[in-house]
Amino acid sequence: MTDTVDEMIARDGKDLNDPTTGDVAIANYTINFGPQHPAAHGVLRLVTELDGEIIERIDPHIGLLHRGTEKLIEYKTYTQALPYFDRFDYCSPMAMEHSYVLAVEKLLDLEVPLRAQYLRVFFAELTRIKNHMLNLGSHVMDVGAMTPNLWLFELREDCMNFYERASGARMHANYFRVGGVRQDVPLKLLTDIADWLDTRLPRLFEDAISLVAENRIFKQRNVDIAVVSRDDAVKWGFSGPMIRAAGIPWDIRRSQPYDVYDRMEFDVPVGTRGDCYDRFMVRVEEVRQSARIMKQCLNEMPEGPVLTLDRKVAPPSRGEMKQSMEALIHHFKLFTEGYHVPAGEVYVATESPKGEFGVYLVSDGTNKPYRCKVRPTAFSHLQAMDFMTKGHMLADITAVLGAMDIVFGECDR
Amino acid sequence: MRAPAPKYAPNDGVIEAAQAALGDAIVESKDAVGEVSLTVVRDRLVEVMLALRDTPGLEYQQLSEIAGADYPSRAERFDVVYQLLSFTRNHRIRVRVTTDEEKPVPSVTGIWPVAGWLEREVYDMYGVLFDGNTDLRRILTDYGFVGHPLRKDFPQTGYVELRYSEEAKRVVYEPVNLAQDFRNFDFMSPWEGAAYVLPGDEKAAPGPGPADTPQAKPAAPTPPPSDAPKVPEAKGAPTPLSADEIAKADSPSVKPTEPQAKRSKTKDGPQDTGAGDSDPGNQPDQKPKDSDVIPTKGEGQNQ
Amino acid sequence: MGVELSPTQNPLAAGTLPNVAFLDDINAEIGDKGFLVTSTEELFQWARTGSLWWMTFGLACCAVEMIHVNMPRYDMERFGAAPRASPRQSDVMIVAGTLCNKMAPALRRVYDQMSEPKYVISMGSCANGGGYYHYSYSVVRGCDRIVPVDIYVPGCPPTAEALLYGVMQLQRKIRRIGTLER
Repeated sequence: MTDTVDEMIARDGKDLNDPTTGDVAIANYTINFGPQHPAAHGVLRLVTELDGEIIERIDPHIGLLHRGTEKLIEYKTYTQALPYFDRFDYCSPMAMEHSYVLAVEKLLDLEVPLRAQYLRVFFAELTRIKNHMLNLGSHVMDVGAMTPNLWLFELREDCMNFYERASGARMHANYFRVGGVRQDVPLKLLTDIADWLDTRLPRLFEDAISLVAENRIFKQRNVDIAVVSRDDAVKWGFSGPMIRAAGIPWDIRRSQPYDVYDRMEFDVPVGTRGDCYDRFMVRVEEVRQSARIMKQCLNEMPEGPVLTLDRKVAPPSRGEMKQSMEALIHHFKLFTEGYHVPAGEVYVATESPKGEFGVYLVSDGTNKPYRCKVRPTAFSHLQAMDFMTKGHMLADITAVLGAMDIVFGECDR
Repeated sequence: MRAPAPKYAPNDGVIEAAQAALGDAIVESKDAVGEVSLTVVRDRLVEVMLALRDTPGLEYQQLSEIAGADYPSRAERFDVVYQLLSFTRNHRIRVRVTTDEEKPVPSVTGIWPVAGWLEREVYDMYGVLFDGNTDLRRILTDYGFVGHPLRKDFPQTGYVELRYSEEAKRVVYEPVNLAQDFRNFDFMSPWEGAAYVLPGDEKAAPGPGPADTPQAKPAAPTPPPSDAPKVPEAKGAPTPLSADEIAKADSPSVKPTEPQAKRSKTKDGPQDTGAGDSDPGNQPDQKPKDSDVIPTKGEGQNQ
Repeated sequence: MGVELSPTQNPLAAGTLPNVAFLDDINAEIGDKGFLVTSTEELFQWARTGSLWWMTFGLACCAVEMIHVNMPRYDMERFGAAPRASPRQSDVMIVAGTLCNKMAPALRRVYDQMSEPKYVISMGSCANGGGYYHYSYSVVRGCDRIVPVDIYVPGCPPTAEALLYGVMQLQRKIRRIGTLER
């Protein structure tokens, strides 16, 4: 073999390290990735400048799913604006609602019943599992493995069924309310989820992950790809699994606990190298920790109301409405005019599955938000795409994108 | 704070520390709803941000968010709001500058590269200019979009909409033409400061007297002369009168001198009662052509 | 999808069983001549319904349900509908999600690249008519303003079952009308 190569070099009289052929110089060229591409996780357009197969520069064009939600929210009452939050990050709907209801409650200074707080944490963690099932599955699919995705989606179907049993919708649950949650869950649902957490989730999940976590090909595609240092992660506004993979143990659930997260015991996984493989493994561990939190919720969840009894914010039950004139008036007022939120401004950020999802809410004292700015997680991550992929191969784009966990509903809003 | 919102380090002493570090760059500082916000001088923003990041005791390492906000009634109508986060102190702070359409805000991309896109978004949505951002292109709106959609004077449905033109064989822009206008119900209670006038109250507010209100039937006798004392119609009826103008209906001194309108009991034939007439507006020629589509009056919110 | 697998005992449901006389006719014809005669038109239509390869045009939330319908639980490939990433290879485009102004030219271009005969399924209320985002300044109020649509699937988002039903409706439509006039 070596002889043949040497012969060829001798014959051509050229150095193998010189990629140019004779007098033809290779110039950089630009390719357009998207806006419609199966590995783009939505509608992303990347204008990519390549030197051969090496990425020189990436200019992400976003806004292809810009729906003007922030403008629409200004025309809706606080209750009507809530379902828009489901549709921001449609892979983890309830986590988006969480930030919004916490922001409005902070402005209202509203107390929330304990059972409601437990239920919200419980479903936020179910949402985290649901989101990571999609992300982990599509990440491994983007780098070439098919089977784990099928298994993880089976788990995701289970999560959607639980969503449906709690809220009536498979995806856009609209389940959290300012002051609690929409309605209590049946006991059978909680026991079913407990069974699922004990049996089906670990079995399928660990099986699927065992196929890729130690897989040589998967590691070759992910280890040392798009390494981000701690300093860069802070400067580029990373959050969630992205900043934890870079080695900063920052988790809003732990550092700035909301609802009943301060009662929960869980570990915050941290990466060591800050590459795509770390991001993947941080998410894998988060799924296990989420299951742990959900079990604690099930053990500790008290009985009681699930929605605040303040009738100026939350509607009465249907039964009460049919008995009491006052309840009927409250119901009418809440579903026509809505409630008034005291003037002021808050910025509330929660740990969504993708990172810090914040809501900057300005109220002018009326029944509609004056300004509702959403802090998307994907915005800052995607912006870092350029420096993260510089010097990598074209095929690494999908791995980097998959490990970023980008959803355009929230990125473009 | 009773609400279960995220709890971070207490705000005690943050404003003092900021004032010590920033001096007269702070225009206003307040601690409201459990959050500290500083309004700073626009031209010294970069200096302020560097101080907030590097001063021990403040240490806001990360810029999480830049939001714009529009207050059209103000001279400098735009707010640009920066949310900073400290990992080491576990605290958040809000920094605000005001500006208008022309005065640029110094860019903080030199401190936090993440500001690049965030400033592009504020520029796209509000038209705020950032001095020092080398890549100030539109980011979210369509290529070639005109206007800044989140300004309060930009209509919700915009000015143009898209359709595919068979003639041009491409997607073309057209002025917005909605089949049904956006129905913006104003449910603010009239006694809680609604901006509109209730139907029927238009004449009453500064008008000569309560008898002019539509409750007065055409068949009623001529209203009392305008110099007659202003009287409410009955106890508990809504009235546009102020409290000192209201005389009690029971008080004998202001009883109306003329008798209330009386209808002749003998005249209640069909021409008086309208019995036998078909419902108004229900004639075939009075009905809309296509009952599903209510034509707009050409003065929707887009005009 | 509660499908009853055991043969039904209800005599009223007999109408849903295959037409026995028709099958006997065909069997007799095959037994007699060894082949069947039909028009190529009908043959093509029948073949088309059996392999509706669809173009993955996932735009927003509905795209997630569109993925779910291909995953093991619903498994749309049972109906011959397989996802393709290239418009050149696909027969039907499922417009899944909010179509925004910035994306509309790309949608039309992908549609133009598809080979005839081509069909479009509009999935979800945003694609049907703007839905929750109807009054937004940056949303196309229905993808039928950009491409002709054959089947509308309502819902926000439609469940995976609903989309599956929509694909089956498209198969019925193709069988009934044949090549759709444009």
